[in-house]
Amino acid sequence: MNNTTIKTVVGAAGLAAAMMMTQVMASEHAAAAGKSPSTNVAWTADMVRFVASGDKERGAKLSQDMFCASCHGNAGIAPSANWPSMAGQRAEYTFKMLKDYKDGKRMATNTADPMVALAKMMSEQDMADLAQFYASFDLPELPKGVSFDAEQGAKVKPIIARGDGKRLVAPCQSCHGSNGEGAVTDTPALAGQTPDYFIKTMQEYKSGARHNDVYARMRLIAKVLTDEEIVQMAHYYAGMTAK
Amino acid sequence: MSNIHIDPLEKRWLWSIGGMLAVFWGVQIYFAAAENLHPPSNVETIDSAKLHLEGEFAEENLGVKKEADGSYTVTMVAARYGFYPQEIEVPANTPVKLRIASFDVLHGVHVPFSNMNTMVVPGYVSEVHTQFNTPGSFPMICNEYCGLGHDYMYSKLHVTAGKS
Repeated sequence: MNNTTIKTVVGAAGLAAAMMMTQVMASEHAAAAGKSPSTNVAWTADMVRFVASGDKERGAKLSQDMFCASCHGNAGIAPSANWPSMAGQRAEYTFKMLKDYKDGKRMATNTADPMVALAKMMSEQDMADLAQFYASFDLPELPKGVSFDAEQGAKVKPIIARGDGKRLVAPCQSCHGSNGEGAVTDTPALAGQTPDYFIKTMQEYKSGARHNDVYARMRLIAKVLTDEEIVQMAHYYAGMTAK
Repeated sequence: MSNIHIDPLEKRWLWSIGGMLAVFWGVQIYFAAAENLHPPSNVETIDSAKLHLEGEFAEENLGVKKEADGSYTVTMVAARYGFYPQEIEVPANTPVKLRIASFDVLHGVHVPFSNMNTMVVPGYVSEVHTQFNTPGSFPMICNEYCGLGHDYMYSKLHVTAGKS
C-alpha cells in the first residue's frame, strides 16, 4: 500500500468511528427526551423495494383470512361510509398505516382499535402483500347509498389548486395529485373516499388525535382549515371518481 | 498566426461578451465582499430518509436554541412543502447558526433582506452562520424547484427587536 491508500484507509476508519459515536449519542439523546418519532417507517431505497416486492396474490388470500373485506369490501370499496375504501391506494401508504398501527403510532382514533389488533398479527411481509393487493385495483367509486355534493366540492377548489399562502397551506393537489391519486412515496390517494371518513380523518389530524404524519405536515394544515372547508374538501375528493 | 482573419462584427461581439463577463464578475465580487454572500462551505452527510427517526433532526429536537455564548442555533427540516418548524423567532443583531436538512428532495432557503440563502441538498446538512439586522417578519422561501408545490413552499421567520 502506498502512502495515499494508507491515509485513505485511516481516514475512512476514523470517519466510521466518528459516525458511530454520533449515532450512539443521538440515540441516547432520543431516549433521554422520552419521545419517539411519529412513525418508524423510513423510506430508504431498501424499504421502497421491499414494499414493491409485495405479492398481491398472497395479499388477496390474506385479506380473506383476516376478514379485511368485512369493513373494506371485497375489491377494496368499503360497503359503508364508516370505513375507508382501500382500492387503488398507494402501496407505500397502506404499508405505512399497517406498520404504524402495529407500532402504536396510530392510536386513540375512532377506527384504530380493531386495526391495531389485526396489525399486531401481521409480519412486514404480510403488510407489503396486502398493500400490493389493494394497490392493484382502480381508485374507488363511492359505496352504494353514499353521495357527494358537487356544489360544496366546487367551493373549495381554490384551496385545492392554489392553497392559501396567508395560512401557510400548500395546495392539496401539489402532494395528493391533480386527480387525487396520491404521490411518491406515501402520500395517499384521496379520490373516491367517502366524505364521512375524509372528515373524520381531517378532524383527527386537527385535534392531534392522529399524529403519524412526519413533521406534523398534515396536522399543521388541518389545524388552520375551518370545519366548513374540511367538509367541502371531503365532497370534492368524494366526487372525483364519479362517472 | 498573425494573418488570421477576424471579421469586424465578430470582434465587436468578442469585446461585448468580454465586457459582459467583466460586469458579471464585478457584481459577484462586489456582493461577495460588501454583502458577505458566499457559497456555504459546510460538508456534513446525513441519511435524509431516516431524518425523523432520531438525532438532531428528529421532530422533538427541531427549533430555536440559545447557546451559552448568547448566540442562537436554529435546527430545521425542509420537506415538501414547507420548512419545519413552520414559524421561528430569533432576536435581531445576534449571531444565528442555521442547520437545515432535507427530508426528501433538493430544496433551497432564502430569507429576503438578509444574506441567508443556501441550497438544502438531500444527504447533506446545510449550515449557515448569519445574523438578522432588521426586525420584522420575513418569509423563508424555497428557491430550488422541488415539485408541484414549490411556489407555495415557505414558512415564517420573526426577527424581534434588540438582543434578548
